[in-house]
Amino acid sequence: MIQQYINSGILEAYVTGSASETEVEELMRMKTEYPEVSIALQELEADMEHLARHMAVEPPARAWDKISDSIDEIMLRNKHVQPFIEKEETDNRSNDRSNGQQYIEVEAESSFMRIHKAWKWVFAAVFILGKIFLAFAIYFYLENRQAQQQLQEIKTELRKLKP
Amino acid sequence: MKEQLTYTETSLPSIKQAKQSLYTSYSGMLLGYIVEVVKDRTVAEKYLIDIFTSLQANDIQDIFNPDNGSVYCRLQSYARKQLQTVHNCIAECAGQAAISSNRVTGLMNEEQQLVFCGLHYHGKSIAQLAYELKKDETAIRQILKQSFNIIRSNRK
Repeated sequence: MIQQYINSGILEAYVTGSASETEVEELMRMKTEYPEVSIALQELEADMEHLARHMAVEPPARAWDKISDSIDEIMLRNKHVQPFIEKEETDNRSNDRSNGQQYIEVEAESSFMRIHKAWKWVFAAVFILGKIFLAFAIYFYLENRQAQQQLQEIKTELRKLKP
Repeated sequence: MKEQLTYTETSLPSIKQAKQSLYTSYSGMLLGYIVEVVKDRTVAEKYLIDIFTSLQANDIQDIFNPDNGSVYCRLQSYARKQLQTVHNCIAECAGQAAISSNRVTGLMNEEQQLVFCGLHYHGKSIAQLAYELKKDETAIRQILKQSFNIIRSNRK
């Protein structure tokens, strides 16, 4: 009977996401009751992973950065929205605090600030330009000092030549 | 000055960590699947980003729950739900599933490809395929089973 169920194609329909709700519920029950069903399902999932690995496409290098930026934005947005939510939920909060589960007391004052990643190029450019200006300043300072010395020498020679 | 932070907010870094772990392990496999669904690499990459961005704490919990089976299959199932609108659009525009051919599905005959790709990549129901191919649902399930036998023979 179990083998008949496994061979019915319901398991395959489940892993391809085409099983009905009733079939899924039945399968979950069968899976816990019969290890044969669980093993057959694991095999099918391994088949799906094999196919997926076979057809894998390397995502672009910047894809994760975009996802990461979105998560950071959500974090920041939550931080800004939170005070307003708290105002509305003062009563609930006191209840939750008594349970000691949903809210955590933290020191929110931080000496760090968040900026967009694009600014790193601006900072790099400012740093490089700073170095260039410094090099120019040193060069012109030395040039100027040398010129002053030469001028001084010429003046001394001129004084000597004068009767 | 003290400020209140909710549990959800404090757990965001761990959600990010979990997402990164999923991304590192399965993004290539998932992108391959999405490319097959949308048939456009650039659009697929956008969907991949959207899918990972939209993952919520409870979705991640569900994906990593060992009782739910393979992590990749759970993630793919989540992606399939997110791509439902694309599936509907393809069904409306094309009328029938386009046959995807690669080294594994290429081993299947035309009927097996239509059933497997229709269900797996194009989000069709067994009833819909049965109607399209003028067969009963049991026959469609058997064809699907044959497709999996081919994948397994390639795996082993």
